[in-house]
Amino acid sequence: MSTTIEIRNLNQYYGKKQALRDINLTIETGMFGLLGRNGAGKTTLMKVIATLLPRSEGEVTVCGRSTLRAQEVRRIVGYLPQDFSMYPNMTVYEAMDYLGVLSGLSKAKRRQRIPRLLERVNLQDDRRKKVKALSGGMKRRLGIAQAILHNPKVLIVDEPTAGLDPEERVRFRNLLCEIAEDRIVILSTHIVGDIEATCEDIAVLDEGNVIYQGTVSDLIAMAEGKVYSAEISKRELELLKKDYLVTSMLTLGNNVMARFLAEERPFASAKLCEAGVEDAYMYLMHVGRGEYGC
Amino acid sequence: MLGQLFVRECRQTAKSLIYWLIVLILIFDFTTQLGEMEIDEEPQPGQESYGYRQSEDPDIIMRSTLGQLTEEYVRENYTTYPIGFYKNVTLNEKDDARIGQILEETAGIAGRESAEQVREEWYAAQNGQDSADNMENMMYQEPLKVKPADGLTYEHFTELMDEADKILGGGSNYGKEYREKNAQVPMTYEDAVKEYGALIEEDRLTGGYARLFCDYMVIFLGILPVFLAVTRGLRDRRSMMQELIYTRKCSSLTVMVSRYLAMLVMLTLPVLILSLNPLLKCMSYAGKAGITVDMLAFVKYTFGWLLPTVMAVTALGMFLTELTDTAAAVLVQGAWWFIAVFGGVDRLKGGMYGWNLMPRHNTELNWQGFHGGFAQLAANRLFYMAAALLLVALTVFIYSQKRKGRLHIRGKILANRKSKS
Repeated sequence: MSTTIEIRNLNQYYGKKQALRDINLTIETGMFGLLGRNGAGKTTLMKVIATLLPRSEGEVTVCGRSTLRAQEVRRIVGYLPQDFSMYPNMTVYEAMDYLGVLSGLSKAKRRQRIPRLLERVNLQDDRRKKVKALSGGMKRRLGIAQAILHNPKVLIVDEPTAGLDPEERVRFRNLLCEIAEDRIVILSTHIVGDIEATCEDIAVLDEGNVIYQGTVSDLIAMAEGKVYSAEISKRELELLKKDYLVTSMLTLGNNVMARFLAEERPFASAKLCEAGVEDAYMYLMHVGRGEYGC
Repeated sequence: MLGQLFVRECRQTAKSLIYWLIVLILIFDFTTQLGEMEIDEEPQPGQESYGYRQSEDPDIIMRSTLGQLTEEYVRENYTTYPIGFYKNVTLNEKDDARIGQILEETAGIAGRESAEQVREEWYAAQNGQDSADNMENMMYQEPLKVKPADGLTYEHFTELMDEADKILGGGSNYGKEYREKNAQVPMTYEDAVKEYGALIEEDRLTGGYARLFCDYMVIFLGILPVFLAVTRGLRDRRSMMQELIYTRKCSSLTVMVSRYLAMLVMLTLPVLILSLNPLLKCMSYAGKAGITVDMLAFVKYTFGWLLPTVMAVTALGMFLTELTDTAAAVLVQGAWWFIAVFGGVDRLKGGMYGWNLMPRHNTELNWQGFHGGFAQLAANRLFYMAAALLLVALTVFIYSQKRKGRLHIRGKILANRKSKS
């Protein structure tokens, strides 16, 4: 039995608007990051894989099962949407139990798995708490627990860290990495830091196209030798912004420490820096597409 | 899986505020209408009254109808039910004059003063010294009857009454459908004994009271289930839980059927509990009178008479909510309920059930009418059950399509609104 997700020549339309353009991807066990701007088509792609949208053209198979056979795919896929909640009057345990029944789990399996999963997402002490009383972070953790309740081979999580505080975000990323040890986890996000901390393989989507597919280190390599920093005055900063893509700024009194992308050293005081994922992503999205004349 | 989901859906319903409001309304309906119900005693000779029955005698129909016309002509306003809705009609001078002419032609009463005199004399004759204006007494008096004019044929009478009905805008006491119902004649002791005999022997007491119970309960059960169905249908979207459920292994058929069954059971349960009250009253009376009652009559009537209505209303609520993702079903069901309630106004005594969503039988008696109209009633109830099952099947189809990202009509409506604005 295949353990990969195969996407071949996928095109997706909303009426006349094309949301995905000729997507070809192979996703294997482990964390897989889907990066892109808001509206790039990440959610659409994940909904197609999760059988929530009928594909317009192309072929999508999940562990050897076509998404046309929705019920078969649903047995092996866990999905955590970007915006979700649960019946507010249910307790954490009741909500898990209800979704467990919908997943076809027997009473014995539910009794065995639910406490274990709640323990894993650190919600065991809150199992009698009503869903409406949970914080955003707790709700997200409950979301993950429900998504892996039926022990799916594939877990799809859409923007899971949006709105979480830094501590919750780190905890959440770690949790995803643990889960990805023995299954495919697709993490969609526009937060580069999430990808950097969790994924080895990624795809970058832009306007429905896959503009990059490969490892994070290869992506970083694309920006090596093109990231510079310089301490300049605030007036010079405005001139710098016109010609180069500034990726970060740190105010130092009257001056600014600017980090920017350039094909070659633009001026003598500019220092070459080690590229990060964010630099590489920005390079890919802007400089590589000729939006800046460097 | 269906059983486990069904139990959880029942639990969810039991936690819903709207459900308990529905239960409270049903209790209110029951206590106000049947809370102080007393079991009919066997008629005894020499009783003051044995109630009324409808007569088919043309002379009685004419006298009663002309009595009604005289009353309303004197009052200068007329009660009508065009398409079943109550309306108070006041005529213009020309139409009023024509009604006066019709009254003169049919009853020989010329002008309003003469009509008033006829009316005064009728009530004075019944009460001796009391005036006809003594409204309190009038309630207990026999309604005004007026002798038809000499030589008036029944055919000509019906023609003129049809004209009067037309002048009044239809649905008056003079139209074909209503004028025959004006002819209520007092029941004799023999009539009453026959009716009571049917209640005891054919209905075994509880059958008659179960019909009366259903008559009161069906009015509210013709509208309340839609609120439960709509809130259940919208709960997934409001709780942002749709996608979590859509991506589960469970089939759309199981999800929808478990919800439907849970709603039916939870709506039927309070009705069955409420029916214990009249059942116990019947049993108590039967024990003293030495009658054997049908212990399951209320259960049979609840399932046979009320359940099809609950099924149809719930299914329509589910279907429209799933189709539109809005509360549109409340409006649709509200309109249907209004039409059904007023459509049943003239059929309260039972026996004429037609295709009304809420068949009426507002008496524990009239077993003959029930027996005569049983085939029609059975067809009616089976039709609504079949329609309900069809709607559930369509709901399952819509739900399964929505799970696959199709048929999101609400999204299309909103997109259309945005593009227009």
